[in-house]
Amino acid sequence: MSLTDELALLQTQTLGAIEASQSVAELEAVRIAVLGKQGTLTGYLRSMGQVAPEMRAEVGKTVNTVRVVIEEALASAKQTLEAKELSERMLASSVDISMPGRAQQIGTRHLINRISDEISEIFLGLGYRVAQGPEVETDYYNFTALNAPEDHPSRGMQDTFYVKDLSGDKSGVRGESDVLLRTQTSGVQVHVMEGQQPPIYIVAPGKVYRRDVADPSHLPQFTQMEGLAIDKGLTFGDLKGTLDYFCKAMFGPDRKTRFRAHYFPFTEPSAEVDVSCGICHGEGCRFCKGTGWLEILGCGMVDPNVLRMSGIDPEEYSGFAFGVGIERVACLKYNVPDLRMLLDGDMRFLRQF
Amino acid sequence: MRVSLNWLNEYVDVPSDLKEFCDRLDLTGTGVEGVEVLGDAFKNVVTGKIVSKKPHPDSDHMWVTTVDVGLCNLDENQKPAPLQIVCGAQNFEEGNHVVVAMIGAVLPGDFVIKKSKLRGVESCGMNCSARELGLGSDHSGIMILPDDAPIGIPFADYMKSSDTVLDLEITPNRPDCLSMVGMAREVGAMYRMPARNPLSSMKAKIDSSPKIKQANAPATVEIADANRCARYTACVIKGVKVGPSPKWLADRVIASGTRSINNIVDVTNYILYLFGQPLHSFDYDKLLSKDGVAHIIVRGARDNEKMTTLDGEDRVLSSDMTVISTPDGAVALAGVMGGMDSEVTEETTDILLEAATFNHSCTSRTSRNLGLISEASMRYERIVDDNPIADIAQAAAALIIEVAGGSLVTFDGNDIGLVDVYKEHTKPRDLTFRVKRFRSMMGEDIPQKDIEEILGLLGCEVGEGDKADILHVVAPTYRPDLEREIDLYEEVLRLFGMDKITPTLPGGRGRNASKSLRQEKLALLNDTLRASGLNETMTYSFARADDIDVLRLPKEGLGLAVELLNPLNADQGVMRQSIIPGLLRSVSYNQNRGVKNVALYEIGTVFFAHEGKKQPIERQKVAGVLAGSMHEVSWNRNDAPFDFFDGKGVLENIAREFAIPKIRFKEANGQDAPHLQPGRGAWMLSGGTVLGWVGEIHPEVAAAFDINASVVAFELDLDQLTAVSAPARPYTDVPVFPAMNMDVAFVVDEDITCEKLTQFIQSAAGKLLESVSLFDVYRDEKRLGKGKKSMAFALCYRAQDRTLTGEEVEAVHKKMIAKVCNACGGEVRA
Repeated sequence: MSLTDELALLQTQTLGAIEASQSVAELEAVRIAVLGKQGTLTGYLRSMGQVAPEMRAEVGKTVNTVRVVIEEALASAKQTLEAKELSERMLASSVDISMPGRAQQIGTRHLINRISDEISEIFLGLGYRVAQGPEVETDYYNFTALNAPEDHPSRGMQDTFYVKDLSGDKSGVRGESDVLLRTQTSGVQVHVMEGQQPPIYIVAPGKVYRRDVADPSHLPQFTQMEGLAIDKGLTFGDLKGTLDYFCKAMFGPDRKTRFRAHYFPFTEPSAEVDVSCGICHGEGCRFCKGTGWLEILGCGMVDPNVLRMSGIDPEEYSGFAFGVGIERVACLKYNVPDLRMLLDGDMRFLRQF
Repeated sequence: MRVSLNWLNEYVDVPSDLKEFCDRLDLTGTGVEGVEVLGDAFKNVVTGKIVSKKPHPDSDHMWVTTVDVGLCNLDENQKPAPLQIVCGAQNFEEGNHVVVAMIGAVLPGDFVIKKSKLRGVESCGMNCSARELGLGSDHSGIMILPDDAPIGIPFADYMKSSDTVLDLEITPNRPDCLSMVGMAREVGAMYRMPARNPLSSMKAKIDSSPKIKQANAPATVEIADANRCARYTACVIKGVKVGPSPKWLADRVIASGTRSINNIVDVTNYILYLFGQPLHSFDYDKLLSKDGVAHIIVRGARDNEKMTTLDGEDRVLSSDMTVISTPDGAVALAGVMGGMDSEVTEETTDILLEAATFNHSCTSRTSRNLGLISEASMRYERIVDDNPIADIAQAAAALIIEVAGGSLVTFDGNDIGLVDVYKEHTKPRDLTFRVKRFRSMMGEDIPQKDIEEILGLLGCEVGEGDKADILHVVAPTYRPDLEREIDLYEEVLRLFGMDKITPTLPGGRGRNASKSLRQEKLALLNDTLRASGLNETMTYSFARADDIDVLRLPKEGLGLAVELLNPLNADQGVMRQSIIPGLLRSVSYNQNRGVKNVALYEIGTVFFAHEGKKQPIERQKVAGVLAGSMHEVSWNRNDAPFDFFDGKGVLENIAREFAIPKIRFKEANGQDAPHLQPGRGAWMLSGGTVLGWVGEIHPEVAAAFDINASVVAFELDLDQLTAVSAPARPYTDVPVFPAMNMDVAFVVDEDITCEKLTQFIQSAAGKLLESVSLFDVYRDEKRLGKGKKSMAFALCYRAQDRTLTGEEVEAVHKKMIAKVCNACGGEVRA
């Protein structure tokens, strides 16, 4: 067999072996057997010295051609096999994507504060600041400066928590004191008006206390959001527009509001505001006790006495105030069946929000 | 207040659409809290006539009757069908008109009438006795109606007892609406129509009432203190017969929510509901002094004076209460309740009728101090008008004589028999109404015609002032709430209709909405704690008086507890000085319900009182508790139980987010933190400022709070955190040159802390050391020796201006190791 024939045979055999290779490793074995240091083709190159000189060019050319053909075949086969092996590996490493992910637990915000934040944000958008005041108040800020009559029933021991007065002052009524747990956030109005000239636009969220035994619909401690706007030329229409905007922002754009005349000592005229029932849309259902309306807040134009007591001239300025019960909103928005859940700290409740 | 629409209809035309009427009341300020339809009890109860009466085949005392109920029962052809009813009564005959409870009727006592068989005979209803209808105690037989009683009409219609009663919420500024005439006026103003006041015609009746004339007054009245009582009238009626009220009178007081007691008491209640004027009737004989005259004295009670009120309670009085007294002692608690001893009873023949007005503040304080609220006190608290008292007293006297007989005692010089001591007259108030200002404040051009009409219907006199759009308004004395111009604005607005005002948003120059620093920090704190996996909760601000002791929290800086004078219970006797006890209770609450993993935080107020100070200091604290572990066991995670370092990690997150400078943790010990487990607690400081503490709650303390697990807790002062928080962290260049990382482990004595070792490393390595962090702690008595530990650190070397060479770093590292070993007396672990 001539050298050329031998090389042709080697090429055929090698190409066959490449074709037959099932893995990159087998392919590599073929490469080493042919092109490695001890490889068969390498052997021909090494033994070129023994080839007759006149044949060298011819044989050299043939060996090179064979090498190029084999290298190309190897490269192409390698690419194919690698792709095949990658897809096999990927197939083998697929996961059950329905298994739970690996997440760092994120804590939750308390429902009441979540709602309180939501309301604050709405009023921030309307140009209000957030203000605050003390929870242990004097009779003056909780009642007197808010125009509550000296003998108003809400001042009674049954409704208000009184606190031991360590200043030595004594109260006129048995069991009462000049110091108390605030029954409303309205006292913040007075603190703000005393400390700032109009225009005043504030909301004041905070805890308030009333002497109700805790049951599914009452808590002795709950949360209110007070609002106050004092400026030149504020009207009852502005009060209506503001609270209408608030209710729509809070409960949805399709909700309606209605204003029912009412009485509060610190506002005049005063009103209670209802929002249309979100379940029956005003038709009347069990949730709204058949009325089609849900009571949501109290409001009114700030009484001139209150303005005057805080050093603001009621002939020059007018204003309005409102108070929202956050627990009330929580019940209306989330249907919380028992208010006491808000203070239990039950993880199963807290983690819902 | 309960308002019978039948009664109200006598004084104003009540609108026929009940729902619309209730809505209108609601919108104009009179809340409708309930609607009760009287006569509902008589549903399916009709009048009928006994057509036939045959003996029951199987009974010697029962009858089988056929009862004609007219159109109330129809057969398939819509023809009247008499009912077959088995009846056990013996007092009736064929042709009698009777009361029939048909199938479906529910009689008092929830007695449901069903179709039944009595000894085999079908019975389709019941012929009723008065007792079965709840109309009396007569059960001697069935009720026989007069022969002219119509057949086949609802019994309620026959009795004219069908009525609708509204339960109205009268706001405290409206004493006038606590009466039928006041409500009639209000409804008149709501619908712009006049109301009728029956007072003058009722008073006129006294002219024709029988009278006994005597020389001397039967009673004298002395008002000791005009501040307590502006007007007191008394009249005496002799020869009354105390007995049941006529039906019309009983119906009125029952509809108004009171029991019918007797004709005298019912008249006083009737007048109270009709005019809002409380009256009191005394047994005249019980008031008489030896001279045969009742000497009434209105005076302050003496401290510790005792009397028994009508409800049978023994009351101990104090000097700020007012009593009606005779020279022998108190006979009534003025404006609140009468006395037991002078009560009108069935034996009473002569009565003294009191009509007066008492100071509202005094009455209110008396009721509050005694915990006694009556229909009278509720009205006096809201101010009773002194002007019409004499007329009302006479109307009441005439009505008593009409229903109970007797004669009015008149005396020389007093033809109306009324002793009337009138100390202070309330005058109508003159007010100005500036129409232009009103409109600009309401934001709506409300027509002047409407303003004048509404005020007029409310009883105000409206005249023109100096200018056409400035009205002169005289407010009536029964409206003590109309004191100022603004009070009139409210009246016009609510009756004109708040719904007719166009909603607008305020313009308002020169305002800005910004969050305060405190609110921004609060939001940041909430975000950080939630990102740390904690859940916000809210606990009571109330605490037990011994909470701090049970918690063993050091009391330094906590002041005194704020004590409640009227707590709801002993567990809520004071205001909290720490949030931790509340949170520990929540841990216990969860664990008792099988929830083992608890991670809670609360931001809230704590209260520190101080002797001599009215109000306590209020501070904002943030506190957290961790029990169990953060996550449930999962296929790819198995969290270790919470320990000290989880709590410390939360605080480190806060320190980072708040950019708190010079943060460090100082080990707490048994003396300064007895509430924490020794060796597992720390104080958090920024420089020299203590911000709070973190640690594992002492197991004995946890047990005292009913917790059977390890609890990590922390409490920080939010005001301090905010104060030391830097506005922002400074920028530092991102490194351009590569770093070289080297690890080293030192074997040191147990008392060498991580903090100390880190400081040694930092000072020994110099400025090429960029960071050092602990990555392993290892203990092994055999290999390392007793009381020794190995602490392994990862060090990162970097220069800001060049690439460090291996040799350079090796040299620094080697030198550092030698220095550290020297400083801490340790050695490098091979």
